[in-house]
Amino acid sequence: MHLLRSLRQLNGLQGVRKAIRQVSTAPTKPSALQYERDPQPLFTDAETQRLLQSMTQLNLDKVYRKRTVPDNSSETKFMSNEQLDNEFQDLVVRAQHMLQMPPIVQIKKDVERVIAKDPALKDFANSKFVFTDITFGRRQSERKVFVRETDGTLAYATLDTTKRMNQLYFPLEGRQSYTPRMFALEELLAKCLTEHKYEFILDRLLVQYEPHEPEFHNISARVFEHLNESKQFDLLRSTRHFGPMAFFYAWHRCIDDLLYDMIRRDYLHNAVELIALSYKLHNIPVEYQATLTELDKLHPTPAESALAELRSVFRRQADKQNIEEEIHTAIGKTEPDFAADEISLKFIEQYIASEHSLKKVQLELAVQTLKEVNREKLLLFQGLKKAHCIQAS
Amino acid sequence: MSQTLIWRLLSGARHTNILNYNQSLLSSNERILSNYFSLRNTSFFNKLPAEDIWRGVTAVSNAGKKRGRGKGSGKKVAKDLNKGQTIGFGKCGRIWPGLNSPLIRGNELINQQKLNENLDRENGILKLRDSMGNFKLMKLNPIDRGWSGSKMPGRSIGPPDPVGDEEFISFDTRVLENKIVFIMKGNMGRKRRYSVLSVTGNGNGLAGFATAKAPEVRTALRKSKNRAGQKLINISLCENRTIFHDFRTDFGKTKIFCFQKPDGYGLVCHRVIQTICKVIGIKDLYAKIEGSTNLQNIVKAFFIGLMTQRSYQDIANETSSNIVQQQKARNGFIDVKGIPFLNSSLTHNTHEIDYMHYTLGNQIVLKRKGTLPFYVYSKGHNLHQIKAERFRNQANVRLHKLVNSYA
Repeated sequence: MHLLRSLRQLNGLQGVRKAIRQVSTAPTKPSALQYERDPQPLFTDAETQRLLQSMTQLNLDKVYRKRTVPDNSSETKFMSNEQLDNEFQDLVVRAQHMLQMPPIVQIKKDVERVIAKDPALKDFANSKFVFTDITFGRRQSERKVFVRETDGTLAYATLDTTKRMNQLYFPLEGRQSYTPRMFALEELLAKCLTEHKYEFILDRLLVQYEPHEPEFHNISARVFEHLNESKQFDLLRSTRHFGPMAFFYAWHRCIDDLLYDMIRRDYLHNAVELIALSYKLHNIPVEYQATLTELDKLHPTPAESALAELRSVFRRQADKQNIEEEIHTAIGKTEPDFAADEISLKFIEQYIASEHSLKKVQLELAVQTLKEVNREKLLLFQGLKKAHCIQAS
Repeated sequence: MSQTLIWRLLSGARHTNILNYNQSLLSSNERILSNYFSLRNTSFFNKLPAEDIWRGVTAVSNAGKKRGRGKGSGKKVAKDLNKGQTIGFGKCGRIWPGLNSPLIRGNELINQQKLNENLDRENGILKLRDSMGNFKLMKLNPIDRGWSGSKMPGRSIGPPDPVGDEEFISFDTRVLENKIVFIMKGNMGRKRRYSVLSVTGNGNGLAGFATAKAPEVRTALRKSKNRAGQKLINISLCENRTIFHDFRTDFGKTKIFCFQKPDGYGLVCHRVIQTICKVIGIKDLYAKIEGSTNLQNIVKAFFIGLMTQRSYQDIANETSSNIVQQQKARNGFIDVKGIPFLNSSLTHNTHEIDYMHYTLGNQIVLKRKGTLPFYVYSKGHNLHQIKAERFRNQANVRLHKLVNSYA
């Protein structure tokens, strides 16, 4: 029964699929920027992951932003302080899980693996037979699919067939059997891009394709290239796609626009991390570890800062120590921040001076303006502290 | 005695003789008035003016009015029978020189002459009269309509009249109840008046309601509107759209359970509460009324409930525990709404309290069992259920397949 059904589906599907491919292959055409060697070892490296996570940041308001759901009811509860703190920790853990980056791996090539050739079975039927292992609970990558060709050859099915069989027996929610029109028609994808719906495209891409498929690589490369031109990097910050994007730029040596954006928004430690990542990927002999460790000491990780922000509700406004905190919130920086800024500025300037940066003038200007703003802030900070008789620690 | 009788008879005979003689005389001369008979041309139709005659049909007597008769008055309308008629034009078409035509045309003198009969004119007049007498439904713009037809309840009657220089800007008044009430007076007897309950508000948390009575509907409306404007109450809104927490409130035998609802839920409640909410500016609310649905009691209970709302901070202080809100639309993000003023973990109460039970005062809405249709326990229905069981999910599966294979 299963066999028959799968046969019918397969024959029906292939015709339409071919037709679609012939009509428009524009969005899935190979992009100019491709990973020429396997990026996976460098991407899954612990240090790279840490750098990318730090660059992504963790803005809980953005991660837990309002979305359209079938049931938008809310629940009000009483909670003790311990319960509330547990919930806060849980929130951060869940947010980190939601920000898990999709892996960057090489495009998987189809390899023909013949199991047996039985010429005696030639012309036993008019169509191919597909055998699928439908054991419950097996992973998609483990599931075995074989095809008996009409000439009697028994072989492992192609990746395409395997994916379709998987989708047929164990459908993933949101994944379609056909290419979604958004990815099939050039004008629809272009419209999405011009409307800056980057996160939407990348989310849909993740649902529809596996990371090792050529379509995934081509479309994501297109999105990142468009993003580099429109410079709307902030749209992807605190989403799971920011890490792969930064990795893409670092790999293809075009970090300057992102760097400029980071400096302009005063995310200097992120800028340092981005430069360090590009040094790491291209084996450039510049010592960056020391700067990073120094910065790590001064800067909390995104998760820590998010948790601290959540816990700030416990602080009482009437407390005496809060004058210092009030100054910090008014200016937006604390003493360690100023120290960290100095270290990172030194590192960034070193990068700009080197031959690796391409947009030197622009970056230098940004750094100069930032320096001036910082100097003013520092003066104000020190003045306020003196006025409130708080000793510098 | 006999003499007088004979005399009478004789005189009577003489009279008749004379009459007969006259008649024969006339008939012998002209023969036109051959069927002459006496007419008594007096009835109320020609004694009374048209106005009075029509009043008899369309209006109710004063005594009747006092007793509340004539509820359908206004349905019958007086017809103007002169409409569509002109002097000189009648049933038989005739040219009357000097009346409906000139005396001289050119050098010719026009004579009186008959034209052929015009039936259209007669029919036209009848049609006109038919259309006049019919009761016409009051046409009301759909936007201006109240809860039902052209009735007053639910309709807007504009902002209260300005008091001195103070104007009620952005206020709107809506009628909630308009009914006739009677009282007994020493000299007048049963006296009736109109009682109007209306609510006014600016759609931003300021509202008031009042009842007023007057012998005329219009005055009652105006009085209640202006009185409502004098009795404004400030109601703070949560997020400018809903109530701060669920609450239970009552007045008399009316009990109302109100529930705070998320953005976009709308007003799911009795039409009175709906109208009040619109006037106050509440956009999302669910309310269930238990017990009596007396209109005035609902209004009073709802306003009392709104006024006795407490802020999150107050509830947190009372229970000395934090109040948090988890929204499903934000994937369960924790929104801290209130933190007790004396925030110490030492007073952590061991018994768990449910927020909804706390705000509803440990009362819950009565859940009535719906009445099952008559066929539920029948053999045929049982059989049908058994047969239909294996197709339960088929429609969903088909839809899912269609969606997934859409190209």
